[in-house]
Amino acid sequence: MMKSGLVSWLIAALACALVAVPVAAAPGGKLVLYTSQPDRDAQRTVDGFRKKNPGVEVEIFRSGTTEVMSKLMAEIAAGSPRADVLLIADALSMERLKAAGQLQAYPQADVSELPADAYDKAKTYFGTKLITTGIIVNRQATMKPTSWKDLLKPEAKGQVALPSPLYSGAAAIHMGALREDAALGPDFYARLAHNGAVALRGNGAVLNAVAGGQKMYGIIVEFMALNAKAKGSPVDFVFPAEGVSIVTEPTAILRGTKNPEAAHAFVDFLLSKEGQELAVSQGYFPARRDVKPPPGFPDVATLRILPVDISELEKRDELNKKRFAELFGG
Amino acid sequence: MPWMPARRGERLTFATLLGLVVLLAVVPIARLAQEALAPHGKLDVGVLDDVVHSPAVWHAAGNTLTVSLGGAALAILLGAAFALLVSLTDIRAKKPLVFCFMMPLLIAPQVTALAWINLLGPNSTLLRALGIAPAPGSAHPLYGPGGIVLLLGLEQAPVVFLAVRAGLRALPRDLVEAAQAAGARPWRIVRTIVLPLMMPSVAAGGMLAFVGSIGNFGIPAFLGIPAGFTVLVTLIYQRLAGFGTSALSEVAALSLLLALIALCGLALNGWLARRRDVRVTAWTTATPEWTLGRLRGAVEGACWSGLFLVLALPFAALVATALVPAIGVSLTPRNFTLANFHFVLFDYAATRRAFLNSASLAATAAVMLVVMAVPLGYSLAGRRSSLRQAVGFVAELPYAVPGVVLAIAMILCLLRPLPLLGLSLYSTIWIILVAYLSRFMLLALRPVTNALRQIDPSLDEAARMSGARYARRVMTVIMPMVAPSAVAGGMLVFLMAFNELTVSALLWSSGSETVGVVLFSLEQAGDAVSAAAVAVIAVVVTLGMMLLSNGLASRVARGVLPWQP
Amino acid sequence: MAAVTLEHVGKRFGALAAVDDVSLRVEAGEFLAVLGPSGCGKSTLLRLIAGFERPDAGTISLGEHRVSGPDAFVAPEDRHVGMVFQSYALWPHMSVAGNIGYPLRVQKLAGRELARQVDAALDAVGLTGLGDRRPAELSGGQRQRVALARCLAMKARIVLLDEPLANLDVHLRARMLAEIAAFRTLSKATLVYVTHDQAEALGVADRVAVMAGGRVRQVAAPAALYRTPQDGVVSRFVGPGTVARGEVTQTYANGHAAVALFGREWQIRSAPGQGAGPVEVCIRPEDVAIVSPGNGFAASVARVLYQGGRTVVEAAPASDPGTTLSLSVRSSEPVAPGATLHLSLVDGWVIPGR
Repeated sequence: MMKSGLVSWLIAALACALVAVPVAAAPGGKLVLYTSQPDRDAQRTVDGFRKKNPGVEVEIFRSGTTEVMSKLMAEIAAGSPRADVLLIADALSMERLKAAGQLQAYPQADVSELPADAYDKAKTYFGTKLITTGIIVNRQATMKPTSWKDLLKPEAKGQVALPSPLYSGAAAIHMGALREDAALGPDFYARLAHNGAVALRGNGAVLNAVAGGQKMYGIIVEFMALNAKAKGSPVDFVFPAEGVSIVTEPTAILRGTKNPEAAHAFVDFLLSKEGQELAVSQGYFPARRDVKPPPGFPDVATLRILPVDISELEKRDELNKKRFAELFGG
Repeated sequence: MPWMPARRGERLTFATLLGLVVLLAVVPIARLAQEALAPHGKLDVGVLDDVVHSPAVWHAAGNTLTVSLGGAALAILLGAAFALLVSLTDIRAKKPLVFCFMMPLLIAPQVTALAWINLLGPNSTLLRALGIAPAPGSAHPLYGPGGIVLLLGLEQAPVVFLAVRAGLRALPRDLVEAAQAAGARPWRIVRTIVLPLMMPSVAAGGMLAFVGSIGNFGIPAFLGIPAGFTVLVTLIYQRLAGFGTSALSEVAALSLLLALIALCGLALNGWLARRRDVRVTAWTTATPEWTLGRLRGAVEGACWSGLFLVLALPFAALVATALVPAIGVSLTPRNFTLANFHFVLFDYAATRRAFLNSASLAATAAVMLVVMAVPLGYSLAGRRSSLRQAVGFVAELPYAVPGVVLAIAMILCLLRPLPLLGLSLYSTIWIILVAYLSRFMLLALRPVTNALRQIDPSLDEAARMSGARYARRVMTVIMPMVAPSAVAGGMLVFLMAFNELTVSALLWSSGSETVGVVLFSLEQAGDAVSAAAVAVIAVVVTLGMMLLSNGLASRVARGVLPWQP
Repeated sequence: MAAVTLEHVGKRFGALAAVDDVSLRVEAGEFLAVLGPSGCGKSTLLRLIAGFERPDAGTISLGEHRVSGPDAFVAPEDRHVGMVFQSYALWPHMSVAGNIGYPLRVQKLAGRELARQVDAALDAVGLTGLGDRRPAELSGGQRQRVALARCLAMKARIVLLDEPLANLDVHLRARMLAEIAAFRTLSKATLVYVTHDQAEALGVADRVAVMAGGRVRQVAAPAALYRTPQDGVVSRFVGPGTVARGEVTQTYANGHAAVALFGREWQIRSAPGQGAGPVEVCIRPEDVAIVSPGNGFAASVARVLYQGGRTVVEAAPASDPGTTLSLSVRSSEPVAPGATLHLSLVDGWVIPGR
C-alpha cells in the first residue's frame, strides 16, 4: 500500500512538473510599474503589454516625475523598494538612479533599431520615444519664430515662458543641449533671462501660459503642444532651425526586482515594433528607426537633434542649476 | 483649575489615545529627523551642516516667514472681522454668507491659484470685457510675494473665522451690557472689551493660519516660481526633483526647519493666550446683536461684493475653463461644450472612484478624529498644562510640514508590514487614511481643547455626583458641551481632506486615487480643461454635502454646524 | 418728577408674557425693591428699564425723557443708567481701576482727573489701594463693591441692581446689604433693586413692588405690604404666616370687620369698603396667641421648628385641618408635636376681594 502511495505521489509530482514548465516559460505574476506618463497613455501602454503577456498582472503608480522619484527614494531608504520597472520622463533621473546603483542591466534587450544615444551603454535604461522640445507660439503673436535665436528678439521681450530645470529633469536636459550647441552658446539662457523670460514649473504650466495668452512664446515638449492644438487651442508648434533637444522617456528595471522575467518582457514590449507603434498612436515620435512617426509629424531624419551627454550633464547638474537660479531667481 | 482625579477606565482610554497621538504624529516626524541626522543608518550631521550653511536655504526660510506671516495677518483681518460682523450685528442672510465664506476651503490651493491666474491674466474674459486686461507679456499682477500673501490670506480666513466665532459664542453677555450701561458705543465696546477678550481665539486661529501657510505648496508653486520667489516648500521640491543621493536627508532637514518655524508660531500663540482667561459657568450665553440701522445695507453690500470678488469670480473663471474645448480658446456661446464634464464623469474611470474615495477618506478621518479628540481633550483638561501643551505641539508638526514630506515620512514608516500585526498598509487606501489622521489631527483637537478650557469643572462634577461613569459622562455631558467646537473641527478636517492633493499624490495606489490625485494627473498632462471640470464637480459635490449636513443638522443641537448663526 | 416711569409696559418672549401691563413710578432718590419668585419677570423689567430689551407695549421714561416707546428708543449707552449685574460683570482683562474708570474714559476723561475720580470711588466703597488688582484676585464681596464703585464713578442718577447678593455667602449678605444702603446714601441715586429674597427687600427698601406672573401685584412700603397685603400672592410671598378662608359677617366704620373663622367670630382689620361674604384672611404669627382652654379654638401641633431663642410652631385648627397656622413661642416653653393647643386670634387682615 505504501508503495502504491509513493508511486501516485511520484506521478503527481511529474505531472505538476510537466504542467509547470510551460507556465514558467511565459512571464506571469505581478509587475509593479512606476511611471510619469500621462494617465491615459500609461493605461494604454499597460493594456498593450498585457495583450501580449496575459499572464502578468500589472500594478501602476503614476504621478509626476518628482513624485515618482520621491516615492522610489523613500522606499529605497526604508529598505524595501516596490517597483519592478520604471518608465519616466527623462534620462537624467535614470542616470542618477544608475549612479546610485539602483538599476539592473538587461544586456539582452534588442536595441538594434534604436539610435545610439537613445539608450545607456551599460544597458541599464532604454529610451522608448523621442520627445522633442521646441517652441510653442500663441496665434496672436506678431512675430513667428523659426529659431531659438528668435526668442531673444525685442518682440519676444517678456513674452517667453520656459519650464524650470530646477523642477524638471527634462528641462535640465534641454538646457544642457542648448548650452552645448556652438550656434547658441553657453550664455543663451543668460540672454533669455535678460530678455525677460519667465521660468515656470513644468511643461503643463508653459502650455497654460501660452495657450492662455499670458505669454506669446514658450519652450515645451512637442506632444503637449500638438495635442492642445489638435483639440482647438490657439497655438502652433515650431521645430526650431538650430535643432531640437530630445528626451527619450526611458524605461529601466530596478535592482532587486521580484519578477525579472516579467520586467524583461515589459522592456521588450516597449522596444518592440508593436510597442513603438503604440507610442506613435499616442502621438509621440518613435525611438525605433523602422517605425513611422505619427501623421503630420516631420520625418525624424529631417530633424536636427542637438546632442547631449547625459552622464556629463549629471555631473555638472548642481552647477547648472545654481547658474539658472542666479539668472531666473529661486 | 484641576479636575477630579481619574479612575482606571479613564486612565486606560487616555493612555490609548495618547499612544495613538504618538504613533500618528511623533513617529513619522521622528523618522524624518532620523533621516536628516542619520541617513543610511549612520549618524552624519553633514547634511544638516550643509543646510544650515546654505544661503539659499535661509533666503527661502525668510521668504517663507514673510509670506506666512503676511498671509496669517490677512486671514486674521478678514476672518475676525467677518466673525464679529456675523456674531454681533443684525445683518441678514447670515447662513448663506457664512456658507460662502467657508468656500475657499472647498477648493484645493492649486486650483484656486490657477483660477486667479486666469482671472487676472491678459486672456481673462472679465478683464477684457472691462477693458482693463493687462497687455500680453506683461508681468502677471499676482506673481510674487504679494499675490502669494493675498491668496494665502483668502484661503486661511475661514479657519480664523471659525476660531473667533467659537470664542465669541462663549463671551458672557453681561460683559458687553455692562459696557453699554457705562455709556460705551458699539465700536468702543468692540475695541476695548470684545477684541481684548477674543485675543486667545484670534491667536489660535492666526496660528492655525500661519502653520497652514508655511507648508502650503500649491500657491507658492504657481505664483512664486514664475517670479523666482522661492519658499522652503518649493525648495524642498527642487531637492526632490534633483534626486541626489542625499536628497531625502536634505528634504528631511528642511522639513525640520519648517517644524521649527511652526514651533515659534506655537510659542507666540501660547504667550498671547496666557494673558487672557475668561471662564463661564453657563453652557453658553447669547451674544447681543447690534442694529446697524442705515449702515446695514451698505455693510451687507460690502460683504456680498467682497465674497463675489473673491469667490464667485475665480470660480466663474474655473467654470469658463471647464466649458471650452481646449486651453486658450475663449468661451463664446457658440463654442461652449460639456465634453470635458462628459469625459471626466463617464469616460475617465478614475473620476468617480476618486470622488468616492475622497469622500469616504475625508468623512472617516473627520469622524475618527472627532471621536478621538473629545475624550483626549477631556483627559488633558484634567492634567498638567505642560502635557497639554506638549500634545498640542506634537499635533502641529504633521500639519506644518509640506504634504509631500508627510507622505515620504509615511512611506518610511509604513513600507514594511506593521510589527505586531504583520499586515502591510502600504499600497492600500489605508495608508492615505493614516496620513490624513496624522495631518489633520490638529484641526480636530485644538477647538475641543479650547472649548474644554472654558467650561467650569462643576458641570462635570455634578455628573459624577449623579453616579455617571467615565464613558457616560463623555457621551452625555462633555460631548454635547463641546459639540459645536468639535463639529466645526470635524467639518474643517472633512473639507481639507477632501480636497487634499500633495499627500495622496505620493501615497495612492491602483483604485485608491483621490480627487486631488486626479486633478494633479490631468493638470500635469497638460489637460487643464478636464482638470477644471473635475475641480468644478468637486466644489459642487462638497457644496451638496454641506447642504445635506445642513438639513440633518436641524435635528441636532443648535449651533452645531459652523454656518448656523 | 419721577425718576423712572413705566406705563402699561409689556414684553413677550414667544407665547410667554414675561412682563404684562406693568405701570410703576419710582420717585427720585427712592429705593425701590422689586420682589418676586423666579420667572416672575422682574429681571426682564430691569432689562427693559436699562434698555437691553425693547418693550412690546407701553412706554418707559427716565425723568422727563421718553426712552422706550412705540416711537422712541434710546440705546442703553445713552441712558446714563448704572447697572450692577448678578455676576458683577467685571471685565477680566482690566484692573479694578480700569473697570471703575471705564465709564469715565468713555466720557473722555483722562489723566489726573480720571485717576482722582477713580480713587474717590475706591475710597467710597472701602477698596482704597486695590486699584491695580485684577477682578479674578478679589473676593465676591470686593467684586460687588467694585461694581458699585463703577456706578459711583459714573455718577449715575439711576442704578439698577439685579440680585446682587445671590452669589454671596449667607453671612456676607447682611453686611453687603448695609453697604448697598450706604451706597444709596452716598450717591443719592434712585435704586431699583431686584430680588427674590423678601428679607432683603423688606429690610432696606423704601417701597417694594411685588411681582408675580409678569404683573405687579402691589407696590407699597414694607410695613404696608406686611400688614395689609392686597392679595393672596403678596400675602404668601411677603413674610411668614397663613392665608385662611373665612367669612365677613359685618363691617364696621373703624377699619375692622367681623369675620367667622375656625368656628368663632373675630374682629379683624379690613380695608374701607370691604363687603360681606367669603374672604381670605392674612394671619401673621404674631396675630396668634396661646390661651387657656375654652377661650379659643383647638388646634393640633403638626411641626415644631427650633430657631434658637424662639421656636416656630405649626398647628392645624380642629375646625379646619387643611389650614396650617404658624406662631412663635419662647423656646423655654416647649410644645410637643401632636399636642393640642388652644389658640386665639389677636389680629389679622382681610385680604380685599377682587
